[in-house]
Amino acid sequence: MKKLIYRLGLLLFVVSPVWLRAQDADQSLQVQSTLDQQLAQVPQELQPDDNKPGLSRFLLRGYAHSGLEVTDEEFSFVGGSFNPILVFRQSDRLLFESELEFEFEDGELEIGLEYADMSYILTKGLTLRVGKFLTPFGKFIPDLHPAWINKFPTKPLGAGHDGILPTADIGAELRGGAYLGNMKTNYSFYVVNGPQLNDGSVDAEEGGMLHYGLFPDNSKQKSFGTRIGIFPFSNSSLELGFSAQTGKVGAKETKYEDVGATLYGVDLSFVKNVTGLSSVIDLKGQYAVAQVDDVEYPEPENPTETHTFDNKSTAWFAQLSIRPAFVDSKLIQNLELAGRYSSFKTPEGAPWEVDQSQFEIGLNYWIDWRTVFKFSYRAISGGEEDHHGGEEAEEGMTNAFFIHWAIGF
Amino acid sequence: MKKYSVLIAVFAVVLAAVFITSCATTSEVSAAKSGAQLWGENCLRCHNTPSPATFSDPEWDAAVLHMRVRANLTDDEAVKVAEFLKSAN
Ligand code: HEC
Repeated sequence: MKKLIYRLGLLLFVVSPVWLRAQDADQSLQVQSTLDQQLAQVPQELQPDDNKPGLSRFLLRGYAHSGLEVTDEEFSFVGGSFNPILVFRQSDRLLFESELEFEFEDGELEIGLEYADMSYILTKGLTLRVGKFLTPFGKFIPDLHPAWINKFPTKPLGAGHDGILPTADIGAELRGGAYLGNMKTNYSFYVVNGPQLNDGSVDAEEGGMLHYGLFPDNSKQKSFGTRIGIFPFSNSSLELGFSAQTGKVGAKETKYEDVGATLYGVDLSFVKNVTGLSSVIDLKGQYAVAQVDDVEYPEPENPTETHTFDNKSTAWFAQLSIRPAFVDSKLIQNLELAGRYSSFKTPEGAPWEVDQSQFEIGLNYWIDWRTVFKFSYRAISGGEEDHHGGEEAEEGMTNAFFIHWAIGF
Repeated sequence: MKKYSVLIAVFAVVLAAVFITSCATTSEVSAAKSGAQLWGENCLRCHNTPSPATFSDPEWDAAVLHMRVRANLTDDEAVKVAEFLKSAN
């Protein structure tokens, strides 16, 4: 009897897991068959074969950079910024792009809206762009300023915050590219709020300066502008650009309201694979003038008196870089040698008179197409005449050695 | 004066529109070029050339439309370069 109970127990012990598993399998069979039934009811269009990609496409990209600056007096890490870029392609004709800038300055996080605009392709050769966009004046600001594109850690003189080149502005634009015979051309025509004239009423030291990207617009008329580019060679290696922008810049209902400013410029880009040198040669240049109508500004020493000057500023740069991209050595392929000369002149007799030139030489190491370590040396000559210590002075425009990194992602 | 400058601006825009519509969106030379060649000639003008392997097809659709607007690519260039990048990634 004892033996029988023992044997039955053993049997139960051996059989039970098998029985339990069978139960399990039974259940999962049931689940499977319900799933099959449900799947069979799924509408035809959701079958994987017909999986439609949709029109909407989205990119979250951007770039970041920072670096080390060494001068006679200073040795510091500078310029940390992170710029996310959001690109929405809503259809093959409709695009939205925006860039934010997160920067750490004077112990505080600064957030900026670099641009936010919508483009709609009207015809094959014409696109309408509205919103806050990078002003298509010249080459540097719209095409070359991002840290992973700019060959140097610095901007050319005149392209910085106190410079004369339009940055982003709010307005509307028609742009595109097409052929005149066999010559490729591109064009843009825009109307924007435009720069604002500093009339010196708050700070006489700045009387006559143009400020860009300010909002709201204080002038009675918008600024109109255009840039036309032509490609004399059919391989697109050379582009010559002509830009102009004009508008009223003085504040409404002041004696400055009819003061106008006209900017004009030319730019050049030549990029070519030179097989003889196993290298890519890249030459870029730009010359720009800002002319503000003659008008009297308060005298800085004695604001009840006024003074005037020929309010014309010029900024230009020329840059050459060479990258031996087609040599066998991986290390040398990724190296790039760059040189840039830039010059910035503001009006003689203005309280903010500057006559500066800067030569930079750099060696870049590219980790991939958008990630770079830049080593450069900047030599400055000339300087600010009695400048009040604005952005430029703060930036410490002295000879300096830079090590910067930039990544685009 | 204000009226005149608005008139001049409108006139300039009309003139520009007439000029642009008289331009062709393709030329004999560009029509004969492949997407790969147009990619090789155009995508290094401002920055290093991105390799087709960088992105997936939907990402290239967005990136090339972005560049079409930013770099004022012609319709011919944008269409062929996008096709090339999506076939070679
Ligand atoms: C006229 C100059 C210019 C040309 C030509 C150009 N790009 Fe760009 N590209 C830019 C700029 C400027 C950016 C950075 C966008 C920004 O920071 O606002 C960029 C960014 C990019 C990015 C990063 C993702 C994005 O959408 O921002 C990709 C990918 C790219 N370009 C691909 C191309 C391809 C492919 C071509 C050739 C058809 C091309 N580019 C030609 C100026 C140019």
